[in-house]
Amino acid sequence: MTARRALASIVTLALALSLLAAPIQAQPAGTLLVGLVAEPVNLDPAQVTDLNSNRVGRRIVEGLVTFPDESTQVVPGLAESWTISKDGLQYTFKLRSGVKFHDGTPLNAAAVKFSIERQINTEHPAYKLGKYPFANYFFGNVKAVEALSTERVAFLLKEPRASFLAVLTSGAASIVSPTAVMKWGPDYPSHPVGTGPFRFTSWDRGQRVILEKNSAYWKYPVKIERVIYRPIVEDQARLTELLTGQLDLIVGVPADFVGQLEKDPKVTVLKQTGAHVWYLGMNNQKKPFDDKRVRQALNYAVNKDAIVRDVLKGTGSLSKGPVLPGTWGADAALKAYPYDPQRAKKLLAEAGYPNGFTTTLWVPESGSGMQAPVAMSTVMQSNLKAVGVNVTLQTMEWGAYLTKLRSKEQDLFALSWMAGTEDPDMVMYPLLHSSQWTPVGPNRALYKNARFDELLQQARLTTDQAKRAQLYREAQRILVEDAPWVFVDHEIQIAAFAKRVQGFKLHPSFDLRVETISLK
Amino acid sequence: MRRYIARRLLLLVPVLLGVSIVVFMVLHLSPGDPAEIMLGSQATQEDLERLRQELGLTEPLHIQYVRWISHVARGDLGRSLWMRRPVLDEVLHRYKATLVLTASALCLSTLGGIVLGVLSAVRRDSLLDRLSAVTSLFGASMPVFWLGIVLMVVFSLWLRWLPASGMWAPYGGGDLGDLAAHLVLPAVTLAAASLTIIARLTRSTMLDILSQDYIRTARAKGLVEGRVVFRHGLKNALIPIITVVGVQAGYLLGGAVLTETVFAWPGVGLLMVQGILARDFPLVQGCVLVIALTFVLINLAVDLLYAYLDPRIQYE
Repeated sequence: MTARRALASIVTLALALSLLAAPIQAQPAGTLLVGLVAEPVNLDPAQVTDLNSNRVGRRIVEGLVTFPDESTQVVPGLAESWTISKDGLQYTFKLRSGVKFHDGTPLNAAAVKFSIERQINTEHPAYKLGKYPFANYFFGNVKAVEALSTERVAFLLKEPRASFLAVLTSGAASIVSPTAVMKWGPDYPSHPVGTGPFRFTSWDRGQRVILEKNSAYWKYPVKIERVIYRPIVEDQARLTELLTGQLDLIVGVPADFVGQLEKDPKVTVLKQTGAHVWYLGMNNQKKPFDDKRVRQALNYAVNKDAIVRDVLKGTGSLSKGPVLPGTWGADAALKAYPYDPQRAKKLLAEAGYPNGFTTTLWVPESGSGMQAPVAMSTVMQSNLKAVGVNVTLQTMEWGAYLTKLRSKEQDLFALSWMAGTEDPDMVMYPLLHSSQWTPVGPNRALYKNARFDELLQQARLTTDQAKRAQLYREAQRILVEDAPWVFVDHEIQIAAFAKRVQGFKLHPSFDLRVETISLK
Repeated sequence: MRRYIARRLLLLVPVLLGVSIVVFMVLHLSPGDPAEIMLGSQATQEDLERLRQELGLTEPLHIQYVRWISHVARGDLGRSLWMRRPVLDEVLHRYKATLVLTASALCLSTLGGIVLGVLSAVRRDSLLDRLSAVTSLFGASMPVFWLGIVLMVVFSLWLRWLPASGMWAPYGGGDLGDLAAHLVLPAVTLAAASLTIIARLTRSTMLDILSQDYIRTARAKGLVEGRVVFRHGLKNALIPIITVVGVQAGYLLGGAVLTETVFAWPGVGLLMVQGILARDFPLVQGCVLVIALTFVLINLAVDLLYAYLDPRIQYE
């Protein structure tokens, strides 16, 4: 065989292969193809907390209360109304009548009681059927759930907590079909049944989850026939599939691709600031960060604008504190620390560090809500060096990082928080109340301020939202003054979708509400 | 021969036991545990302790190991901590996809490598030989994920010939053509490095053999060149080639992790990566055991092939 003949046969083989390869085909009408960044692990939202599982799982099940399509204010869901007792200890819900689960089981008070008690009551027949990691975090305060009649159900609390309605918007508070849970037992997460706009149809492991529309959906008629979720980890692959019509909608578009997509006439790009905060934590109990002036100096020293502009490329908005700007609890008058290295140097000198100091910054390589942790930290490192603070970056794998943070040995650390709701209690209390110091809770900056603690506690006991807002505003002003963290950014979520997708909105809770979509 | 196979199969037990101990220890001794990762940054001490208790992580390691391995011995690999699904089902389901991918890549790299190697040896210093030397260098030094993305951009995004990811069309599809279309890019990506290694080795072995006396004799007695090269040359060159192919099979199983991630191929490699990040102990242990078993069996097959190719090799 000559070289020419060999080459010829290789070319023939390649051609034969490409003929065999079916050309990329168009999708059937009414089918929405969604690209996820990872495969859902489990479709029972009470058992998992990862974004991808929730984005799919929460199409199937719903809670008593929910959010409207554009904000995180609490509105009626499966409950059409509710009353809160004067002492704030009893929440009584009136359920919508005539709602049925996808398997025909009627939605009633018993189903609500079942859905919550399976997670917290160790004697409950369904308790052992699953693992409910956040049961205590969300429902540790629930003493009992009582079915008062078929349509009325009461939650009895151990102590008042004004954010309880916000708690009930979580995935863990979704109402599931008791018939399905008992039928499937430990396999229920692969066969979820709820009242939501879509019913679970099939799941090809590693490839796709298919949901069909619930024709009897109580809220409105769903306009698409089915959704197919495809897990595609690699960014370039997800993007290619969108541009070649094999996906209609992708989320988690990497910052580097946004510019390119915005110029593409076939694609619409949508942005939305999510209920998230990214911060550089400081160990408030450890020298030199126990001095307020040092913490303020770091806030002046870090060029957050540059991080948002150059590293995040528009996928983050500047943060002034932990509460999402524009929501009821936020203080609009709050001022962000400007980038002012001179001021930082002056404050450091006042605190007794005219020549700066040396410290360590712990950074996870990646992690839920962490955006670009290493790149962002590197910018901060050089910002801090400019004011004399020599920072050594120590990068760690996410799991190892979380363990290490409970040692209380941290100086500086990069972390983020996705509250999924706008209620300030769900962000400020766990992250900054002194009762939540690590390792007990997630206050890893070991921040403590008596007045701040008191304000947060009072706000928990007050059900009047206007009064709560006042208390939280004062608390936020204290935070700016105390500067327990360097407040960096709130993530802007980015979705890109084909022109045939109509009526899609990104939700600030990071939920992916495809039920509002119609296809052209 | 039969006794030899039986003995080799019996040896599987200690090998897999050893693998299981190493994997178990590496996973359990590395920092971060499943409860920690499941709860993420919102973890409270109380939730962590309760979850660890429920996941059985509070017991001493040797007790956890013995409990797990005794279940494994009965064919029960446990339930995934995250997915709550039986590990064996999950792994076997994904394993099929990995086998399809690695087997295709292995065929591609072996056939392609041998053809290219033989041609380069026979036409030494020809254009083809030089071209193959350059591409080999290129192929061996390209990272799998980079090559994968380049192929994807060229053949999926620009030319639109082939789908960019997955194993089947997102809706409909499901026939052999559909699978083949989805298989081309990942298989070529995965095969590239092995193909070049096999080609280079084939070339040098063939060059060595073609200069031997018996080849000269074969030519002298008037055999056709094709018969000289394939019957007398290649067959004798196959022993080292088969050895390398066996090693490459293991490499491909490992390389599948990256290829599967790039092309969203629903195989065991992708599953294992997710499992490791989540510290899903039973799941990762299950994946590693299945991959180790495959590797050992491939090695056995290679050893048996030797005897077939060279009757002088005997097993006792």
